[in-house]
Amino acid sequence: MMRATRAAAFGAAAIMLMPAAGHADGKETIEYRQHIMKTLNEQSAALGQILSTTIPGDNTAAHLEAIALAASLALKAFEAKAPGGEAKPEVWSNWADFSKRMNDFSRKTAEMAKISREQGTDAALANVVDALSCKGCHDVYRAEKK
Amino acid sequence: MILLLRNRSAALLKLTLVGAAFMGTSLLPVNAFADDQEVIDYREHVMKTMGEQVAAMNQMRQAKIAPENLAVHAEILAVTAATAKNAFTPRVVGGKAKAEVWANWQDFSKRLNELVAATADLAKTAKQGGLAAAAPKMESALTCKGCHDVYREEKK
Repeated sequence: MMRATRAAAFGAAAIMLMPAAGHADGKETIEYRQHIMKTLNEQSAALGQILSTTIPGDNTAAHLEAIALAASLALKAFEAKAPGGEAKPEVWSNWADFSKRMNDFSRKTAEMAKISREQGTDAALANVVDALSCKGCHDVYRAEKK
Repeated sequence: MILLLRNRSAALLKLTLVGAAFMGTSLLPVNAFADDQEVIDYREHVMKTMGEQVAAMNQMRQAKIAPENLAVHAEILAVTAATAKNAFTPRVVGGKAKAEVWANWQDFSKRLNELVAATADLAKTAKQGGLAAAAPKMESALTCKGCHDVYREEKK
């Protein structure tokens, strides 16, 4: 009985000590956010091919949708303070700036996807350079692995 | 990429689209893809996106990451799966794609159509019922290996 009570207390304490988002492990947290950032990278690259006209634009709307969805997850994925991977510690030491940039990114890509749905892809792509200004953030917050 | 985008004006894009329209739709699959490597790169962007999303969803299924955003991942997966067949339509052998993709196109495209249907259903289920409802469907919906064993050449 005592053992069961202790176990329950330990379990409750462990839950309280977990980061807010419920991420159990730093390595898992890093991998998870990398899945999101790599998705953004792959989708942006695909869109870039379409914009440079090396690939037809049949899937443009889908790429804009995927980018907006992934962007909506990105800030949450960085909430758990787990330095590592390509993220610099500045992500968390400058959290107000980082999260503002992420929110701007999410808002702009969502707007682009909405315009695509409502007015077509040509109208949506008018704002693509502003919405996908990845480098501005990466220069400050990403330590690219060689 | 942004540099690339800045170098490509909207006018050029429109001009190209107008030019393509004049060439006629029957010529599009051949003429629209200027470079085989671009075709390979493009479909790899699509397939890698799916790989990343499946990996994120598996982290949630294994309780390594909180599953609060499972439905969004499932939606990205479904949206991307719907682009895959288009990405493989140009017959360009290379990358990890075996020649069998095009030799057995009927089977390959049938499998991709099934993936599109399964991921759309998974996204709907995850949105309505979260991980508890989606988990039983994840294994059957994400049968990547079945296709990869036949059509994908793993690079060492």
